Amino acid sequence: MWLISGGAYQGKLEYVLTKKQISFDDIIDGENCDFQDLLEKPLVTHFHLWVKRMLLEKKDVAALVDQIIQENQDIIIIVNELGCGIVPIDAFDREYRETTGRICCRLAKDATEVHRVVCGIGMVIKHA
Amino acid sequence: MIVVLIGGSGSGKSEFAENIALQLNTGKLVYIATMQSFDEESKVRVKRHQKMRQSKNFRTIECYTGLANVKVAKNTTALLECMSNLVANEMFSEEGAKENTLVAIKRGITQLAEQTDNLLIVTNNVFEDGFRYDEETTRYMKLLGEINRWICQMADKVVEVVHGVPVEIKNISDSIWSGRNLDETHN
Repeated sequence: MWLISGGAYQGKLEYVLTKKQISFDDIIDGENCDFQDLLEKPLVTHFHLWVKRMLLEKKDVAALVDQIIQENQDIIIIVNELGCGIVPIDAFDREYRETTGRICCRLAKDATEVHRVVCGIGMVIKHA
Repeated sequence: MIVVLIGGSGSGKSEFAENIALQLNTGKLVYIATMQSFDEESKVRVKRHQKMRQSKNFRTIECYTGLANVKVAKNTTALLECMSNLVANEMFSEEGAKENTLVAIKRGITQLAEQTDNLLIVTNNVFEDGFRYDEETTRYMKLLGEINRWICQMADKVVEVVHGVPVEIKNISDSIWSGRNLDETHN
């Protein structure tokens, strides 16, 4: 599994596509993908939005993430780095931000590579 | 040695800082806790941190304001968790230094650095969400930014923690750092 992280609009997806040949049909979006796709497809973008959806649906996000890691070991996960701001006033926003951060720590631990993308430029911050 | 660990919320910076403190320590371990728990959410947060360091043999000193009053024994490795709370407490709480926050924090850090073998300071990156905040929050961000720059200038090592992965920012050569070097940058 690879984890690709960075701020919004940093060119994370384009960066990945320079590294891996993946057809557009195989790219799924965390905003609207099915869980089954996360177990099968090679690349998910906007993974933080999937985390948000699961929180809104009161799902056990950590358990679902474990299942993804186990069943789709080569998946590339693109996620926005959300934590670098003022603590939000809204309780759900705080939970969303914090949970996404913890999930990313969990993913980074298991990932064979973690890339951080700034202004379209990637830096490998972990290479197992 | 002074080490600064910076990261966003949920970045894994605290756990990383604790582990580095354990590795640097050759005497006594002290944890300086700055978070006051006013409500259920902050209680849960404090509990999570307590549980995380349970087996690590830190002596905990609670210090919400007035860092300069903290006294530690010889050969101490101290972990201050965290600067962002301490600054907020000094600025906004009843007992805080208010407009003298910068002076109070600088004095506290200087004295602590003198007393300790190793001082690890955890601080927060609150600067990148792109929102404009009210005057008070903006004042807080400016001051935390200034303090972060001051401690990082002093520090022997500065590490940004990204999803639990250390990214070196300043002067890191020790083998205990498991982060990658910047020359491994891939385009």
